[in-house]
Amino acid sequence: MEAIKDALNFSDFSRAERISLIIFSLFLLIFPLLGAGSFTKTVMIQFLLFSLFGMGWNTIGGYGGQVELGKAQYVGIGAYTVALMMVWWKIPFWFSMPVGVLIALGYSFIIGYPLFRLKGHYFAIATICTSLVLKDIFDNWTLVGAAKGIELPIHEHPDFVYMQFKSDTYYYYFIMVLFYIGLFYMNWFRKSKLGYQLRMIKDDEDAAESLGIDIRWCKIKAYSIASAFVAVGGGFMAVYNLYIDPTSVMELSLSIKIALMAMLGGAASLWGPIIGAAFLVPLDRFLGSWLGGYKGLIGVDFMIYAALIMVVSAYQPRGIWGIIEQLRKRGS
Amino acid sequence: MLIIDALLQGILMGLLFALVALGLTIIFGVMDIVNFAHGEFLMLGMYTVYWTSLFLNIDPLLALPASAIMGILLGLASYYCFIRYLLRGPAIAQLFGTFGLMLFLQYFAMFLFKTDYRMVEKGLLVGKSLSVGPFIFDWTKIAAGLLSLISFIVVFYFINMTKTGKALQATALNKEAASYMGIKTDRMNALAWAIGGGTVGVAGGLLVNFYYAYPMVGILFVMIAFACVALGGFGSIKGVFFAGLLIGILEMVFPVFGQLVGSDFLGPHFKVTIIYLAYFIIVVVRPQGLFGWRQ
Repeated sequence: MEAIKDALNFSDFSRAERISLIIFSLFLLIFPLLGAGSFTKTVMIQFLLFSLFGMGWNTIGGYGGQVELGKAQYVGIGAYTVALMMVWWKIPFWFSMPVGVLIALGYSFIIGYPLFRLKGHYFAIATICTSLVLKDIFDNWTLVGAAKGIELPIHEHPDFVYMQFKSDTYYYYFIMVLFYIGLFYMNWFRKSKLGYQLRMIKDDEDAAESLGIDIRWCKIKAYSIASAFVAVGGGFMAVYNLYIDPTSVMELSLSIKIALMAMLGGAASLWGPIIGAAFLVPLDRFLGSWLGGYKGLIGVDFMIYAALIMVVSAYQPRGIWGIIEQLRKRGS
Repeated sequence: MLIIDALLQGILMGLLFALVALGLTIIFGVMDIVNFAHGEFLMLGMYTVYWTSLFLNIDPLLALPASAIMGILLGLASYYCFIRYLLRGPAIAQLFGTFGLMLFLQYFAMFLFKTDYRMVEKGLLVGKSLSVGPFIFDWTKIAAGLLSLISFIVVFYFINMTKTGKALQATALNKEAASYMGIKTDRMNALAWAIGGGTVGVAGGLLVNFYYAYPMVGILFVMIAFACVALGGFGSIKGVFFAGLLIGILEMVFPVFGQLVGSDFLGPHFKVTIIYLAYFIIVVVRPQGLFGWRQ
């Protein structure tokens, strides 16, 4: 009960933040009624999905300060569990998604235990390695479709049990609910004991250790929470796209995007991943569709994307949220 | 017999890997930055040799200086225009920064050269092979191995024997103390990037003789280079040489081993996977690498 009260308590926010949260929520709620085209709707779904991913990454990457670049493997685990259970045994989404999350949790403990012996660059590269190893295995494992991937069976009628709908609106509301669960969880998390411990570890590991914090165990816990978040999103991706292959759910670029959105928006803040996703997902999509129309401009959209990463990391490593806070301090 | 053949081929590849990883380890040693864009320097080196030999109609081996110069200029440009500003930020920003540089160069190459796979087709050594007893070696690979070795030795002597090289080492050991001794550490950083870019440019120029150049080729080689650097001990030059050899041998011998055992899971698909796995195990079990002098 206490935890739920904490999760819904936004009292430490400024008035401007609370008002924007309300306006934002209202907008999300009525968005499908605004008569937006299917392209805009897809972008919105992607935005909510990547916010969810970013929030998950924020636990270990933002609050914990560990450069984690292997989240895509958990997207893959979540997506493959849902897809395979549906193809092999016709198990509904509502059962297979939690199973996927449990597998992701178990796997993250196994990987996390040796992984968190490492720090800094060693850790960052090692997370990439674990993710790529899993991708290579799935790429060559004929039982799970290898590089061809797997298609989910398509149902004639919209089906709530298998989460298959004709209209994107249903998917939109479903991912919105997940998004809010994630948001409230993160609101609780940042005020929880683990949240404070992680920030302490980020500031000064030696000091944290001398206060009796079990650093490695804290990091593993945060890593597993992040993995669970991402696996939920992965499960959603499977039923939403109806087709998954190792390249779409386990690629290195997906891991990078997840971390980047949280970083660009502002790591270690509740708003960061949401701002980052709100900024990057439309940019990615619209640039892609806009420049893709011109022949000979292949790659320009990603060049702009990459230049943005370079500018942000060189001039404002705290991201967009850092800029906002700076402006606010100057204002008051 | 297969194993010995793979071993010899692995040594040739390993010499090249060592040259690729050399720049990475120097940059890491001097300024504690992991350069994700290193593989893209290699990719641009490959393209430089490809286009120079095509347009000037010269042998690809004679085009190597072009790729070295390109690499040096690219290294200097990245340092002075970008990396210098990254250094003020936290480590996480540095990682993302070089990652951004990597993406930028990848898509820049895609924009310029499209996604076609290109390989040098004409040349003195291209397509010819040397057979010694039961073994057959491609001349291009032999040239790549030997020239890599020579480049490596040149850089090694430069760093250990000249005054500038010693200043570079001093900067790597202790930046503050070095600057008190009157060493301009900013210049040393730039030098590290120049050497890093130059060596990897040469490696790319050698590689394009027998490997396809395409915009995304870098990521594979940067992961191999990471494994070499980790195995040798981050920042250790001697270490990276032996680590390169070991990784090269591992990459070649592993599929042969799988073939002999007859297992599908030890096949050639996984020859890169085994390198990732090797990296993971090395850093977990022995974080200081084989020759590392610090953690």
